[in-house]
Amino acid sequence: MYQYNADDTSFLVERVDQFEKQLDRHLAGDLDAAKFRSLRLRNGLYMELHAHMLRVAIPYGALNTEQLRALADVADKYDRGFGHFTTRQNIQYNWIELPEIANLLRDLSAVGMHAIQTSGKAMRNITADPFSGLTEDEVEDARPYCELIRRWFNIHPEFSWLPGKFKMAINGAKLDETALQIHDLGLKIVRNDVGELGFASYVGGGLGAAPMIGPEIHPFVPVGDIISYLESVLRVYNLKGRRDNLKRLRIKFLVREHGAAEFAKMVDEDWQHGKDDPELKLNMDELAKLKADFSLPIEPLDLVDFKDTLDINYSIWKTNNVRAHKLAGYSIVNISLTQLGTAPGDATSEQMRMIANLADKYSHSELRTTKRQNLVFPYVRKDQVHALWQELDKSDLASPHHGTLAHVVACPGADYCDLAKAVSIPIAQQVQQRFDDMDKLYDIGPININISGCENSCGHHHIADIGLLGLKKNEQEFYQITLAGETLQETVIGRKLGRSIAGAEVVDAIEDIVNIYLESREEGENFVDVFKRIGVAPFKEKVYG
Amino acid sequence: MVEDSEIISVVNEQGEAIELLSVGEWIADVDNNVESAKGVVVTPADDVELLQESLHKISLIALDFVSFDDGRGYSQAALIRKRWGYSGEIRGINAHLDQLQFMLRSGVNAYDLQEQYQDSNEHDYTHGFSICYQVAVNNGDMKEKF
Repeated sequence: MYQYNADDTSFLVERVDQFEKQLDRHLAGDLDAAKFRSLRLRNGLYMELHAHMLRVAIPYGALNTEQLRALADVADKYDRGFGHFTTRQNIQYNWIELPEIANLLRDLSAVGMHAIQTSGKAMRNITADPFSGLTEDEVEDARPYCELIRRWFNIHPEFSWLPGKFKMAINGAKLDETALQIHDLGLKIVRNDVGELGFASYVGGGLGAAPMIGPEIHPFVPVGDIISYLESVLRVYNLKGRRDNLKRLRIKFLVREHGAAEFAKMVDEDWQHGKDDPELKLNMDELAKLKADFSLPIEPLDLVDFKDTLDINYSIWKTNNVRAHKLAGYSIVNISLTQLGTAPGDATSEQMRMIANLADKYSHSELRTTKRQNLVFPYVRKDQVHALWQELDKSDLASPHHGTLAHVVACPGADYCDLAKAVSIPIAQQVQQRFDDMDKLYDIGPININISGCENSCGHHHIADIGLLGLKKNEQEFYQITLAGETLQETVIGRKLGRSIAGAEVVDAIEDIVNIYLESREEGENFVDVFKRIGVAPFKEKVYG
Repeated sequence: MVEDSEIISVVNEQGEAIELLSVGEWIADVDNNVESAKGVVVTPADDVELLQESLHKISLIALDFVSFDDGRGYSQAALIRKRWGYSGEIRGINAHLDQLQFMLRSGVNAYDLQEQYQDSNEHDYTHGFSICYQVAVNNGDMKEKF
C-alpha cells in the first residue's frame, strides 16, 4: 500500500501546528466559536454531548498494522480504550479532551494518519471497495486513483469552503460495494468500446432527509482528464450551490433544481476551459508509481494437495466470512467487529492490537475497513485460514454472525451523538438478542438491518433490506422503517413501511417483517426479490394489522 | 447583486485611493469608467462573468471575503486571474487570517484583514504550509506534489 514520505509527514505536522494555534486563539477568546467550528470540523473535531469526538481518516479503507497499533495507542492514551469504525471507512473516538488534540494528531502523523477534512464543508475521505485489487471481476483497482484524487483535493485553495460537505466514492469492481450513487459524487471505473479506461460519473446522490440516487452526469471521462473534470464539478457547485437554505446545501439540491441534463451541461461548459490544460492532466508517472505501491505483495501458490479442516463451526464461519481471492492459494477473510452485546463497529485497543498481530502473521501486515464496519484481511493463505480462525475464535472475534441479520449496522446514536434523535446501539443489541438462535439466523439468510439515529443517516438505513430511522415525537423515541433498499447490483432507496413505531415495539415489528419474508420466500429469493414480488402490503398488514 | 457597496474606496498596493463601484454600477456605465481608473467590488453573490469583457479596463478588483464560510470568492479569484488573465490587483477585502493562504493561492495578490486580526502573526497563515498537492493560480515557493 501507499506509504507517506517525509514531505507528506511534514505537511501533516504543519497542519497540526496550525490547528494548535487556532485552538489556542479560540481558548484565549481571539477566535469566535462559529469560525473555530468551521476550522475544527475540517480537522475532524466535533464538540459532542458529553465530550469531544474526533474522526480520523482511513483513506479508501487501507490500513497497515503499524497504523492499527497507533490507533489502539490513541484509544488508550486519549480515549477510554476503544474506537468506533464507521460506515465511511473512518474511525471515531468519542472521549477526547480539547488540550490533548494536538498531541493526539502528532502521534497519528508519525504513522501517516490524520483527521484532515473528515468533516466540514469540504471534500471528505474518499471511500473505495474494500476488496479493491483482490477480486477477479474488477475492471481496475480503484486505490491509486483514490490516492491521486484525495491528494489533489487536500486543502485545495479554491474548494475548501464549499456550500456543504462533499463525499466521494470510487468503485473499480462490477458489484458496487461502495454505494456509489448515494454519494455527492461517485466514480465508476469503466472501459469504453476501444478498451480505454475512464470514469462514469454520478453526481448528486445522498441519503439524509431527502434521499436521492445520483444520476449519471457523464458516461465516460478519460482517466487523464479526471482532475480537470472534478474541478469543474466542484467549481459549478462552489459558485452555484445553495448557501441560503441550510436544508439545501448539498450538491443533490443543485442537481435536482436544474435537472441532471442541465447540470451536466453546466459542468461541461466549465470543463471546456480546463480539459486541455496540461497542468490539470492526471500525473501518469505518479499513477504508475502508485500502481506499483498498491500491487499485490504475494505470488500465486500451488496448494493442490491442501485439504481444509472439517469442523462444523469453522465451516459456518467460513461460509459467511471468507471470500474467493483472484490469486490462486489465497483467501480474503472478513473479521466482524459486531459482537453480540457490543456496539457495531466498536473495537477495544486490546482487540486492535490482537488483530494487528494476526495481520502481521497471516496477512502481510495489511488490512481494510469496510462500509459494514468490519475489518478485512486481504491476503490470507488458504492453508492458514483454519489457524487464523482458531486464533480469532479464542479471542471471540470469529463471530459467525457476519452476513446474517444479527450483524446490524448502526451509527453511534443518541448515546454518543448530540445530533441523534434516538438511540441506535441498544436497538441493535435488542435485535441480536431476539435473533440469537444460529440455526434460525442461517435459515433467514443474509438480511441487512441498518439503524440511523437521525436524518443525517450515518447508519445508511435507506439502503438496507430493513432500515430504521430514529425520530423523536413528544419526547418519545420512534423509528421509521424502510424496506428493500439496495446498492450492490443497482441503487434503490428503501420504501417506507408506514407510520413510525415506538422504540419498545420496533423489534417486534422487525420480527413480523422477517416472518412475512420467510413465509413468502421462494427458492433462491433474497429479501429484495421477495419485496419486489409481493410489495409492501403484506408487511404492512402484519406489522400494523 | 449589491446596489450600493458599503465600501466606496480602497488603497491599492501603490498607496493610491481607488474608488470602488459595484458590479452593477460598473456594467451600467462601462464606457465612461475607463478614464477614471475605477475599481470594482465583487461580493460572493455577484456573477463575475459579467465583468469578463471589460476586465482589462478595471484598475483594481476588490473581492469581499466577509463571510468566513462563503467560499465563492476563491473561485471568482481563480476565474478572473487564471481563466481570463486579469493582470491588475485583486485585493481580498474583509479578509480572515485563517484563510490568507487559500486566498493568495487562488489569485488574490493583496488583502485587507478584518480589524479583529490586527495584532496577529500573518506569516503563520500566509505561509502555514510549505507543501501543496495541487496546481493553483499561485503556489509561490511551496513544494509541489501531485
